[in-house]
Amino acid sequence: MTMIDIEDKPSSLWRDAWRRLKRNKLAVAGLAIIAALVIVSVFGPWLSPYDFLSQNLDLRNQPPSSQHWLGTDDLGRDVMSRLIYGARTAFMVAVGVTIIAVLIGVILGAIAGFYGGWFDRFVMWFTDITMSVPQLLLVVVINASLKQPISLWMEARYMETLNPIYRNTQIVDFVLVFGAMALITWPPYARLVRAQVLSVRQRPYVTAARALGLTNRLILTRYVLPNAMGPLIVAVSAGLGTAMVLESAFSFLGVGVTPPTPSWGNMISDGLRVWTNYPHLLAAPAAVLAVVTVAFNFLGDGLNDALNPKGQK
Amino acid sequence: MFAHILRRLIVWVPSVLLVMLGVYALAFYGAGDPIKLIFLRAPGDVAYDPVKIEAIRAEAGLDRPFLVQFFSYIWNLMQGNFGNSLTSGRSVWAMVSAAAPVSAALGLMTIVVTALVAVPLGMIAGMRQNSRLDYFILGTAVALWAIPAYVAGPLLMVLLLMILPDGAVPYGWGGIFSVKILLPLIVLSFQPIALILRQTRAAVIEVLSEDYVRTARAKGVPEHMVALRHILRPVLTPVVTQLGLIMITIVNGAIFVELVFGLPGLGRLTVQALINNDYPVILAVTLIGSFLVMASNLLVDLLYPLLDPRAADVKGS
Repeated sequence: MTMIDIEDKPSSLWRDAWRRLKRNKLAVAGLAIIAALVIVSVFGPWLSPYDFLSQNLDLRNQPPSSQHWLGTDDLGRDVMSRLIYGARTAFMVAVGVTIIAVLIGVILGAIAGFYGGWFDRFVMWFTDITMSVPQLLLVVVINASLKQPISLWMEARYMETLNPIYRNTQIVDFVLVFGAMALITWPPYARLVRAQVLSVRQRPYVTAARALGLTNRLILTRYVLPNAMGPLIVAVSAGLGTAMVLESAFSFLGVGVTPPTPSWGNMISDGLRVWTNYPHLLAAPAAVLAVVTVAFNFLGDGLNDALNPKGQK
Repeated sequence: MFAHILRRLIVWVPSVLLVMLGVYALAFYGAGDPIKLIFLRAPGDVAYDPVKIEAIRAEAGLDRPFLVQFFSYIWNLMQGNFGNSLTSGRSVWAMVSAAAPVSAALGLMTIVVTALVAVPLGMIAGMRQNSRLDYFILGTAVALWAIPAYVAGPLLMVLLLMILPDGAVPYGWGGIFSVKILLPLIVLSFQPIALILRQTRAAVIEVLSEDYVRTARAKGVPEHMVALRHILRPVLTPVVTQLGLIMITIVNGAIFVELVFGLPGLGRLTVQALINNDYPVILAVTLIGSFLVMASNLLVDLLYPLLDPRAADVKGS
């Protein structure tokens, strides 16, 4: 394997990784699917043939046709438009949750790894425990217990300010889903960043920086963290996929995004009630979700091989 | 060995207590006043009289400080008393022990199926690394890992519906020897199989580069004997350590599989409790699930020195 000269040309690491990624056909296919998903989520309102809420009670439970490519649901709503809007929901939740979780993970992991000591032991103990509780059950508990206080707080704010934004149940849903999911998905990031920081901390350039009298904060933000980023990017790409699946899982169980906001998860659970008569209502969202999660996994594996050429297991 | 067990337990017990404390605190501060919750469910029976409510509260011991209530909850748990359901009024312990055998049977069979399918396939893939067969097995594993149970289950049902005549698609619970268990079992095994398969494959690839494997091959030992004698054993050690993770995927997966296929197990109990906001049940199921995972992790920790004596030496020194 050819060694890359990182010090001389900082961009060549990424160019090299991109070249390796392009050779991996499955990863490229995954990337294409995810790119399509991003485009669909961003431009959804202009792409969807119908409004996702508009009901046409004359055309209920229609099979796929030229007017409604994927048919209509039990209220006569266009399934394809709902799928497209569901992509927006999934994408928004995945990005939001991952940003919060990565922030918590990077901050805790970096401090724990860099300073060590009791704080390190405490953070690692806490991540171990959080990771050993089944995620779904934890979210169920968080959701069941925080839903009422948050709704009450929102209602109180509404009474105070009369701002209709506080009456928007969609916002309550998103706050809850974001919060609960971020609270269970940060530990892997913290663990990863800590391990990276521990290994980078020993490098000569950190010793040199310390010898020059730089402050700890400067060393951490300027030298240690940037060099610990590679594996974090791999973890984030996998994490986005996981967050998307989690969102649909919670919506499926009825603790995530609630109707009428479409989410692939609640579309599947709606379809499950009528699948013996109208299998397309179940098959469409299930197939889309399956394709997207497989795409995220292929891309994640490909990125892993491309960014860590030596670390092939 | 005894010191090792003791050291593990000293870390384990506080961890379990912390999880219980966290979950209980969420319930205590988040779910709202339990007395009012009960009254909300039985309107009209008793007039809403603050004095009376305070009396009931004192009688139920709900006016005591948080930590006192927490430890009395733990004390009751240890005696098998999980409290009563808010919706049905039945004892949570009775509900759990009615549902647990279904989930336990399904979970145990999943572990058996996983071991029987994933380890041989992972070994084949690893020993033929980068062959077409390897790519096929690995690609399938990635797909199985990525597709959640609530997607795989319904899709399989739709497929079966197109093949089988009406009414012949299995649904519900008929014991572990009924055909009905096949579909849930297959769907629940997907993720554990993918997990163990990839783990086995990685371990095989690592062991293949060991000197003793090369020596065995150089001596002319047939390939299947090399696989059985020299590769299987060292590969099993890292695989067994995944028990905790398998437990998590099974506990998570069972919630969906039981819901999709209509099995009366702990998973369905959880979802029903969630819909009814039946807090004592949610609390009990969460604690049981977490306890199972943490107990499997402890078991792995305790067994590890037996599987790999080097690990005990390093830690002991």
